[in-house]
Amino acid sequence: MDAYYASVEQRDDPRLNGKPVIVAWGGTRSVVCAASYEARKFGVRSAMPAAQAERLCPQAIFVPPDFIRYKAVSRQIRAIFSRHTDLIEPLSLDEAYLDVTVNKQGLGSATEVAKAIRASIRNELSLTASAGVAANKFLAKIASDWHKPNGLLVVRPHQAAAFLTSLPVTRLPGVGKVTGKRLAQIGIATVGELRTAPLPVLECRFGQWGRRLHELSLGIDERPVVTQRPALQVSAEDTFESDLRLDELEPHIRRLSEKTWRSYRKQPTRVARTIVLKLKTAQFKTLTRSLTLPTPPATATDVADIACGLRARVDLSPGTLYRLVGVGLAGLIDAGQFTAQADLFAGNELL
Amino acid sequence: MEFDVERTALLKALQSIIGVVERRQTLPILANILLDAREQRLAITATDLEVEIQAHAQAELSQAGETTLPARKLMDIVRNLPEHADIHVSTSHDRIALQLPHSRFTLATLPTKDFPTVEEIGQTQDLELTQSHLRWLIDRTGFAMALQDVRYYLNGLLLELEPYCLRAVATDGHRLALAEVVTELPLTETKQVIVPRKGIQELLRLLTDSDEPLRLELGDNHIRVTWPEVRFTTKLLDGQFPSYQRVIPKQNGGCLQVERHTLRQALIRAAILSNEHLHGVRFILGGTSLRICSNNPAQEEAEEELTAAYDGEAFEIGFNASYLLDALAAIEESTVEIFLTNANSSALLRGAGNERCRYVVMPLRL
Repeated sequence: MDAYYASVEQRDDPRLNGKPVIVAWGGTRSVVCAASYEARKFGVRSAMPAAQAERLCPQAIFVPPDFIRYKAVSRQIRAIFSRHTDLIEPLSLDEAYLDVTVNKQGLGSATEVAKAIRASIRNELSLTASAGVAANKFLAKIASDWHKPNGLLVVRPHQAAAFLTSLPVTRLPGVGKVTGKRLAQIGIATVGELRTAPLPVLECRFGQWGRRLHELSLGIDERPVVTQRPALQVSAEDTFESDLRLDELEPHIRRLSEKTWRSYRKQPTRVARTIVLKLKTAQFKTLTRSLTLPTPPATATDVADIACGLRARVDLSPGTLYRLVGVGLAGLIDAGQFTAQADLFAGNELL
Repeated sequence: MEFDVERTALLKALQSIIGVVERRQTLPILANILLDAREQRLAITATDLEVEIQAHAQAELSQAGETTLPARKLMDIVRNLPEHADIHVSTSHDRIALQLPHSRFTLATLPTKDFPTVEEIGQTQDLELTQSHLRWLIDRTGFAMALQDVRYYLNGLLLELEPYCLRAVATDGHRLALAEVVTELPLTETKQVIVPRKGIQELLRLLTDSDEPLRLELGDNHIRVTWPEVRFTTKLLDGQFPSYQRVIPKQNGGCLQVERHTLRQALIRAAILSNEHLHGVRFILGGTSLRICSNNPAQEEAEEELTAAYDGEAFEIGFNASYLLDALAAIEESTVEIFLTNANSSALLRGAGNERCRYVVMPLRL
């Protein structure tokens, strides 16, 4: 979907039509959840601090997010998808991979399916969507961003290599600033340059990831569309109005532990043994500390106690101030898997 | 302080100690190493407040003295010098200079008095053994240590000194490894210490396979291992190690005898199609063959059949293949014996007839 939250707001409130709209919570520390294309012209982007967005575009209309409505619209979009296929892999509320190799309507090509879906979204929901059609997930994803907003790009298998050649490597999934920089050090800036790099060089520098980079440069991506991906972790985090010291975080850690625990308990068949404390300093340095227990924690209080205790493993100077704290449970597995491994010291005097 | 040292000798000493110089120090002095020059010998010490390593190098001494200087910078400089370079080192005020015919480096120093060292470790029980013996003990058992377990006393290796025996035991609660070597020490009491994981890893890096003797000192709060080039000291973990004897099964069930290499290869293959978290494989026992089966949530399956001698009842039992593979990698004999009682009880693995190394693995309920 194009500028999803902002588009839903513009659709539902005609006064916002054609105006720069920014979806963000109020408050000095809030970030932009979404910006309409009118606002993007001023340089406003998602995840930018709201204060900065306001400076760039003072005439923007700020709207607080309403996730209940966005989720409802998301369900309508998914219903449109499911007229064509059941192989849907949602990435977020407004983005999904669809495998239409076999499609329910018997349309002749994936391009026709994409056109039909975009037409339905436009006619029934009065929203616009962009689509990418390609032989695999990563090409489809890049293609879908190509003609945003309200665009469609089809990358046929024989066009894949040419399509990729001039792209910067950072457009590849999993290649961010860090890998981008490491590739630049060996003179690789574009996917075409990555393609000509010898595989042993990439493997030596990046290990197994090097092979994957090599495959991506050739347009190879064998990942299937996975309909249900069980969560591997649950977490909650919060940015403070004003920065806090480590020893002032306890009430926040306890509140976030409760929140994490509630979403954890929504999946009663899954268990986690790893508790993660995430911190971001006033200088935007992110650090995490984690502890893996022999058995899953039993209550939110257990999680909170351990998360508070993990602060002892933070080795920054005591005067350091933090702008964000998060609490998570990681490594979720099916409960059956956890109880399967018998313990040497079970029912024992040691724990 | 002033001395001349060969690049190779200095580099070797620095490589021995650099592992304990942490990259993110809480105290600036911990980024430094202590350099102590006296009696034609250079002692270089690094510490992370848990593990301390002192390495020695031959040096041509002009003036004795001591100072501290940044470890990684020194390491990087020395590593990149020409192979047979002779380095002239001298201090003046708060600087230390490294001089070569065509290069000169001046580094900042910090006062020696701020560098934390452990000189005395109190009352100890001492024994002598070879480097290869100590290395062997750790190699046979270290893999079973827990990693960041809340039962913190499992995040280390138990060393147990008994009359005529030094034993190492490690467990993560799901499997256990035990190995022992004979000593010539007629002790009257036993002594137990738990050496933290970090210390074991560093020690393993230092030990060679040579028959050079070393001195092992077990104190109440530290252990120290010394040989001519190195003095290694680590703090101990507090706490009571589990009574491991109780979980080593009696060998009263059936005994499965199988060729170690064959079993290892079969397990590696079967594990490919096992569940990615549990690495669960099923042993189907009975008669003269062992069948190993695995499957994963995608319903893919593997089946392996191997020749094996088995004298117990027919039954099925599940295991985490990686636990078995770890044990098989530590066993040296070509035939392995696995003692099994029933599907809910632990298995004991050992090289055929070898009582000195034993491995216990708890089953998986599949």
